[in-house]
Amino acid sequence: MRPENYQAKSHPPSNEYELFIGPNHPGIEGNYAFKLRLHGDTVIEGKADAGYLHRGFEKLMEGRLWIQNIALVPRICVPDPVPMEVAYSLAVEELCGLEVPERAQWIRVMQLELSRLASHLFTFGGHAATTGMYTPSYWGVADRDLILDLFEELSGGRVYHIFNIPGGIRRDIPEGFLERVSSTLDYIESRLPDYDNLLFTNQVFVTRAKDVGILNQEQALEWGVTGPNLRATGLTFDVRRDDPYLVYDQLEFEVAIESAGDAWARAMVRRKELLESIKIIRQVLARLPDIQGPVRAPIPNPLAWNVPAGEAYARVESSKGELAYYVVSNGGDKPYRVHVRGPSSMHAVQVLEWLSVGARIEDVAQIMFSLDACPPEVDR
Amino acid sequence: MSEGHSQSYDRIRSKKTLQEILEVATEFERAARDFYSDLIPRVSKQIRYLVEELAQEEQEHYDLFTALASNPEIESAILKEVDTPMSDRRFSDAIHLPDLGDSPDDQAVLQYAMGREHAAMEQYTALAESAEPGPIKDLFTYLANEETKHKAELEKIYYETIHSGGV
Amino acid sequence: MADISYKDKGSILNPLKNLQFFGRKPVTEPLGPRPASKNYRGFHLNDWDACIGCGTCQKVCDNAAISMVRVPNAIEDPVKGIRPLRPAIDYGRCCWCALCVDVCPTAAISLSREYVHVCTEDQIDSYFMLPDASGMHGKPFAEGWAKTETTDLIDLERQEMPEMAPESRSDNFDEIVAGYDDQQALLEASRCVQCGMCHDACPTHMDAPEYIRAIWEGRAEDAVRWMYQSNPFSHVCGRVCTHRCETACSIGSRGTPIAIRWLKRYAMDKIDHEQVKAIAAEGKVDYLTGKRVAIIGAGPAGLTAAYDLVKKGHQVEVFEGLDKAGGMTRFGIPEYRMPYDKLDQDVDVITSLGVKIHYNCRIGQDRSMDELQNKFDAVVLAIGLQKGRSTRIPGSDHAQVRAAVDLLRMITLGEKFEIPKSAVVIGGGNVAMDIARSMARLQRQEYGEVRMTVTALEPRDQFLADPEEVKEALEEGVVILDSRGPQACTLDEEGRLNGLCTWRVLSIFDENHRFSPSYDDTDEQIHEGEIVIEAIGQMADIGLLGEDLTEALEWNRGRLQVDENGRTSEAWLWSAGDCVNGPDVVHAVADGHRVAASIDAYLGSQESVEAGA
Repeated sequence: MRPENYQAKSHPPSNEYELFIGPNHPGIEGNYAFKLRLHGDTVIEGKADAGYLHRGFEKLMEGRLWIQNIALVPRICVPDPVPMEVAYSLAVEELCGLEVPERAQWIRVMQLELSRLASHLFTFGGHAATTGMYTPSYWGVADRDLILDLFEELSGGRVYHIFNIPGGIRRDIPEGFLERVSSTLDYIESRLPDYDNLLFTNQVFVTRAKDVGILNQEQALEWGVTGPNLRATGLTFDVRRDDPYLVYDQLEFEVAIESAGDAWARAMVRRKELLESIKIIRQVLARLPDIQGPVRAPIPNPLAWNVPAGEAYARVESSKGELAYYVVSNGGDKPYRVHVRGPSSMHAVQVLEWLSVGARIEDVAQIMFSLDACPPEVDR
Repeated sequence: MSEGHSQSYDRIRSKKTLQEILEVATEFERAARDFYSDLIPRVSKQIRYLVEELAQEEQEHYDLFTALASNPEIESAILKEVDTPMSDRRFSDAIHLPDLGDSPDDQAVLQYAMGREHAAMEQYTALAESAEPGPIKDLFTYLANEETKHKAELEKIYYETIHSGGV
Repeated sequence: MADISYKDKGSILNPLKNLQFFGRKPVTEPLGPRPASKNYRGFHLNDWDACIGCGTCQKVCDNAAISMVRVPNAIEDPVKGIRPLRPAIDYGRCCWCALCVDVCPTAAISLSREYVHVCTEDQIDSYFMLPDASGMHGKPFAEGWAKTETTDLIDLERQEMPEMAPESRSDNFDEIVAGYDDQQALLEASRCVQCGMCHDACPTHMDAPEYIRAIWEGRAEDAVRWMYQSNPFSHVCGRVCTHRCETACSIGSRGTPIAIRWLKRYAMDKIDHEQVKAIAAEGKVDYLTGKRVAIIGAGPAGLTAAYDLVKKGHQVEVFEGLDKAGGMTRFGIPEYRMPYDKLDQDVDVITSLGVKIHYNCRIGQDRSMDELQNKFDAVVLAIGLQKGRSTRIPGSDHAQVRAAVDLLRMITLGEKFEIPKSAVVIGGGNVAMDIARSMARLQRQEYGEVRMTVTALEPRDQFLADPEEVKEALEEGVVILDSRGPQACTLDEEGRLNGLCTWRVLSIFDENHRFSPSYDDTDEQIHEGEIVIEAIGQMADIGLLGEDLTEALEWNRGRLQVDENGRTSEAWLWSAGDCVNGPDVVHAVADGHRVAASIDAYLGSQESVEAGA
């Protein structure tokens, strides 16, 4: 709903009032609005209001060639674009029966985890900001920039990498790239105690985040909550481990969990995942030099590429939860239908609306950010 | 261009005056012009353009020689003797005209014309080489270039016409 | 998992530990843009010399950011496949995905490492750029994302065409090339980027992009429909066309061009003959104009004109001197390249529309030109180049010196002649290869061995024959000698021909690429041969015109002079095909269309004059 279309309730009780949060609000990564009805400082109703970023990705994809969509999908989640590219490619590869070369699969894993790191660094900074602490945001964004440098070197683009395409990746890694990834990881790992001191073991943060926005496991499962938000309720579900794709079954890592289900637990799951991602990437760095060969299976002329009729569902674990592409082809040179099953739409709509009820107004922004939703993906 | 014409003393002399040489050359061009002019009505209209062009070309050369004879620089040197080149005999022979038949075709005309131009080119090249530097050498060099150009043009036409399409 | 050492409540002192940062060296980033990475996808670079204006970048651009803009003074050469168009980028739309780079057939486009552009409001148009090699602001910036073997999205390799092995083909006249099957055709068609260079280069402007696309979509019938828009000799052109389309094909700039000719053949072979006839008949008018047109010569030019005119409702009669139609495509091209049944099908499509062909009817002998002029409203002269040229070297008037075209005609007609045990061919074109390969087959059938020598003036790399023809001739046992200039045919004591004497050619063209042969007479060779076959060139046999008409007509350097519509200086006479344009089947087809359009306009205008009167 646009602000100009917003109609106040005709006869609100005299002790209630309404607030409009957004559409530009630091509580969320993008343009998104949230309409609150309050009684005193307590929220009695929250209404998610999407639509400020609407571009109609799913519909746009139906009008574009299979290859053209690779430039579109990363835009569905700006802070964490790699899972978008990979999931779309996996679905198209399944339809075409394309065999992705092993080297490309390992490089995809490296990108996915780098992207997760970048996204989490961005998120905890934002989360801290909603509790009034701004230093972690500066640090998080500055350290994320080092990962963007790596992506720039790898793909030529800092934010929209457009690097994974059906069949593999567009080109092999540059010379000396692995060493630079390794040193960046060392640096980020060395920063973790700083983050802990500043945020995760900071009493101010812990006190603010504990017992805020508690999501219980049963409710989470009912709504299809995934990712760190689900794992923060004590359930160990991770697509990487439970339905492995690419080469995740050859990698050793642990699934981070917390049991409290509150904003603090969600932040802690991400904090633990930083370390796990670093571990995964280090394993890739160790293995990759031994895996030589092509990085892309031959694909047809992109201007005359008919994908065999059928449907495919490919899911990956993005930094925000389970991300899947459901792609239907009728045998044409463009998708017949693409549906993006993103984590953010349920996190930012149902879960947020539910968690905000009964919360205090100063915690609403924190609840929003702790769910780590991506508005363009809600508006897909 | 058969051999075996009269073996006059003139033709085996080792030196000739420039005047003599120019006279032969003028006669060479005149004879050719008349030959082609006579041929024009006898060939098929399809290839008449070829004979017309040849006649035109020879007329230009004839005009050139006539003009040269009255050039004061040349006039002053006209009695000088120059070495008779090896090609002299073939050149003089070319003045004698062949019988191309009642209605020669393009190939016959072209082959004849190329032979003539070749003889002229050789003659002037040889004369230019033996002449001392000065207006006479320049003259022969110029004439040799002219004939070479003309011959190249004819060879191009020949290739395009006869080797028209080994496709 | 190593747990993080937090206390349940955390410590209020922990953040203070970070006060140590006051003691660290500050990080200072320099002002100004930092250098971008080596693969950076910045503003476009375009090498205008390599760019052919094909517009493939425009097609792949997912945001429609690219428009092809006509550039003044740029080269325009449809034959080579170069358009004076260059991509202009709208940076308000561009998303720097670099698909344009990956898909560029010539590798002309790349992205640079430049990424800063600032402008004021009144310079907003500066976001619309025509990139060249000097970059967005004319300042040198290194290349960023450029084409590599891995990133290339163009399929450079052609689907291989299955064909008979030399050992199984060289003693028979079976067709060598097998043709594509459905899968091969689909894969080959899928390589096409639909740039349309082929359409521009084709003399008859066949809608190749459309029929390739139709084949790719599995609609072979539609492909045939597209072909018949511009070419009623689609079987013939699907096999023996000189394929200018492939020369111009943009994929050919770095790889093997799309096999456009074989795709045409595939579609024609795929569709049932009766179906082809029905497609060809589409658009034929359902009335008769009452006008009569005579066409001399049932070759591609004459029959194409007949096809067009009969579809417009004119009554068309074709006069053919031989007993079969097809002209040089039948009597000049050997059956192993152009099977007669396929040619019969092309002819049958045309006659099924109502074109009447009088076979064995020679104009000038059986009927006169006067008769045609009087009985018909228009006459087309499409007599081709049927007479072989002779070298006229000494001995070339010997009875055992033959013209290649005469022998090829005899082979097609099945006329018996004594197969020579050995033979020498003079010429380096396709006709020379055709006769050498046909004769080699006959020799193998008759004597079990091949003794064929081809001598050509040109060096091998300048042969007029298709490289494919030369390769196949060699495979079949023909000896090919390049740079040999024929000097004389040699005779034995009894006056029988026994060979050809040649000198080595030192150079054939001068520096201006004009014919100017020079020989090395010390390198003399005698090539053994019972007969010598001359295959150096052909000319039109214009005897049928008669002296008066020859005199009345205008000529242009040995050829009948025609205007751009193929009309001669005589108002009732048009001329088309090889006899005016030189030998080429697809040119002949284009010519046939041209004269048909001109004749139709002329007959139509006559009509309106009569109706008005």
